[in-house]
Amino acid sequence: MAPSLAIQISGHLVSTKSILPSQTWLASFLSTQKSNLPFQSLTQTALFRLLASEITISVQPTPENIFPATIHDLENRSSRLKGPVVAQIVDIEDIGHSKLFQLDALESAERGEKTKGKEVIRVIPGEQDDNDPDNLGLTGASGPHKLLLEDANGTRVYAFEFKPITGVGIGMNIGTKVVIRDVKVVRGVLMLQPGNTTMVGGKVEELHKNWREERKGRLKAEIEAMKEDG
Amino acid sequence: MVKVLCVAEKSSVAKAVAGHLSGGRFQTRQTGNKYIRNYDFDYKFNQWDHCEVTMTAVQGHTEEIDFVDRFRKWSDCDPVELFDAPITKNIEKDKRSIADNIQKEARNATILFIWTDCDREGEYIGTEVRTFAKRGNPNIQVKRAQFSNIEKSHVIRAAHNPKDLDERQALAVSARMELDLRIGAALTRFQSLKLQGRWGLAGDALISYGSCQFPTLGFVVERYMRVKNFVPEPFWSLKLMHTRDGTSTTYNWDRSRLFDRMAVVLLFESCMSSPDALVKSVARKPTRKYKPLPLTTVELQKQGSRFLGMNSQRVMKAAEGLYTSGFISYPRTETDQYDQAVNLQALIGKQTNDTGGWGWGDYATGLLDGAFEQPRRGKNNDKAHPPIHPVAYAASAALADADQRKVYEFVVRHFLACCSEDAIGETTTVNIDYGGEGFHASGLTVLERNYLDVYPWDRWESSQMLPRYQEGERFVPNEVTMTDGKTSAPGYLTEPELIALMDANGIGTDATMAEHIEKIQQREYVFCISGGGKSTGTSRGRGRGRGRGGRDAGGSGRAEGGGGKNVFVPSNLGVALVEAYDTIAAEMSLSRPFLRKEMEVNMKRICKGELAREDVVHQCLEQYRGVYARVSQHLSTYRETEAKARHPCVVD
Repeated sequence: MAPSLAIQISGHLVSTKSILPSQTWLASFLSTQKSNLPFQSLTQTALFRLLASEITISVQPTPENIFPATIHDLENRSSRLKGPVVAQIVDIEDIGHSKLFQLDALESAERGEKTKGKEVIRVIPGEQDDNDPDNLGLTGASGPHKLLLEDANGTRVYAFEFKPITGVGIGMNIGTKVVIRDVKVVRGVLMLQPGNTTMVGGKVEELHKNWREERKGRLKAEIEAMKEDG
Repeated sequence: MVKVLCVAEKSSVAKAVAGHLSGGRFQTRQTGNKYIRNYDFDYKFNQWDHCEVTMTAVQGHTEEIDFVDRFRKWSDCDPVELFDAPITKNIEKDKRSIADNIQKEARNATILFIWTDCDREGEYIGTEVRTFAKRGNPNIQVKRAQFSNIEKSHVIRAAHNPKDLDERQALAVSARMELDLRIGAALTRFQSLKLQGRWGLAGDALISYGSCQFPTLGFVVERYMRVKNFVPEPFWSLKLMHTRDGTSTTYNWDRSRLFDRMAVVLLFESCMSSPDALVKSVARKPTRKYKPLPLTTVELQKQGSRFLGMNSQRVMKAAEGLYTSGFISYPRTETDQYDQAVNLQALIGKQTNDTGGWGWGDYATGLLDGAFEQPRRGKNNDKAHPPIHPVAYAASAALADADQRKVYEFVVRHFLACCSEDAIGETTTVNIDYGGEGFHASGLTVLERNYLDVYPWDRWESSQMLPRYQEGERFVPNEVTMTDGKTSAPGYLTEPELIALMDANGIGTDATMAEHIEKIQQREYVFCISGGGKSTGTSRGRGRGRGRGGRDAGGSGRAEGGGGKNVFVPSNLGVALVEAYDTIAAEMSLSRPFLRKEMEVNMKRICKGELAREDVVHQCLEQYRGVYARVSQHLSTYRETEAKARHPCVVD
């Protein structure tokens, strides 16, 4: 019963999400589940767990779903990557705004202050019009973003948000899984836009937590470095 | 005959009103005060018939509140006691004669008719006047005139329509006075006593605290720190040039700029691989430059600094003078919309026969001949005064000084601009796509200048004409370049910016903002310096270098009368005070506007009858008592932070 169930689940995830789970991961997942659960809810749980785990553990690399070995070739001025490649977002940076601007926004958000035009307002947590519930210093217009993606083999590649993609932003979950199809690659950088990027979702708790904790320190260090350059 | 005693807030208003009501025929009597006269005349009020009238005045507040004797000396009590110490009202020393005059004149009067300015402060002063009058005649009837300018017909209308004093507004003022006294005295004594004689401060230094002063200082310090901590960051951009019909057009990148070189290099490369650019759209759009909103006090102060080169205090002084001379309406107002009842045409009519050489007579005539348009409606109405507008024509030579001339000209031109049409133009925007990246160029053609003709302070000029482009056509750009640049530091806070911040955050009222700004300069918490970077005689280019701002400049940095380019920088003491409070009582944020704003909101709620005066005072005092307790518990931290922040000036 078990092997065929694993195959059924894999098949379902591939056909609906283009994500092939690793056999070892799936087997260990199934061993923790009650065997009498309906297929539907079992698949749902499997998908949820998969999205919440490290891609290198939970996704089975195949020749198509990973970045090719030549991806980092800087001489390659322009090529297309067919995919579908499965990846998780391990880092994101807003390159449309200065670091200092982002740090200021972050620090005032932490103090519970946000500006509304010229008015400094004190935000009460949980207020309805608070569009920055985690106090990350999100401002109205953001991006474009530079992303760092990681595939099932652990290969990391930079990507540029060529056109705004819903769900991509400083407030997003780190470890979110994305599926990329037929994307333009310019000197080792993926040019993402809504037509070639599907946000599947999820979050890797540890990555997410570290990223948030380190953000302020990173911004500060980068600013400090520019001070020395300047 | 019934006798009516009229009392105005200033002697100039008393004289002007007496002149209007009596048609200039009044008898003048001396009083015990050399600045105050009593004017006697007969007048037929609609409501009281023929009356014998005496018109006199006070000089603003007559009484002051203070602690009872035992708490008055600094050495006699712990400052914390001032949160509860009993308070008394005393008549200010040199104003005894004013109160006496009212008491005496009230004795044989039947009616007290109060003519103080129609705002919260005026309402409170009205209650003081009532107290003095009742001492002379406990049965006197009390009425109040409602007016917002001293133009004749307006004054006469007010005389025939007496109202009652608004007790709630008076209560709000008395709450504010008590809070300012207690909080200010407790914290001022505390911090002065703890810091005197340290780090170069004089042994008797007065280091005052005020609940408006501090957030005002906070704004200056915040901007200063922002400038000081600024680090220029590199960014990169793309630019495209194309020459057609002999005109070279620069197209700007839709992304404006990015802070990542790699990304821009890649986008640049991908552009360059494209053989030509595609014109995506050519859009012609009517556009307009809006005429100004009706004039409020805050706007007058901001524009005065920006356009007239006068600081807010000077602007207000000149405006007060114009008001008491009956040339403009009451200059303290938050209203930026005109009531239907105001006869704007009549007001414009007074400016058409411009014999005094201002040069707007023909323009005003044009408005009456059909160019008139209703002013825009702003969002604010204080229900007391209309926007600031001219009420009578004044020839240039009739005005007292250059400041009054400048302010009068501004008020009239602003008013005429409000009654004009918006300026009309057309923008043409060409959007192109080059290798997947968007670029745009736009041009403006001004078609009708309208209000701009009378309002020289707004600039709106036609730009260079764009050549013709067709939607869907392709062209080869002459040049595409990748440019780089660095972010530049914000400037130090200018006076208009500071006023705008205070206004948006409820720090002070239109009546007091200028005073708070003046106060933090007097205390040497901040200096006003010439921000252009050029040293003016005494300012020695201070504030240009990073991290400077030592107190060594003393008062020398005060640039008098300079233009709108003047900026505020904090002294080391100012920075130290803000940092000390922020460190010790971070969540109270005394240098931030929240507490004060809450207080101001509560004042307004007292006026509306939603809150009781005693509750507001109590609740607010409790908050500040908390701050006081915290600071005194952390005295050593307080001193350390002060010392640290003040340290640089020792090196300096």
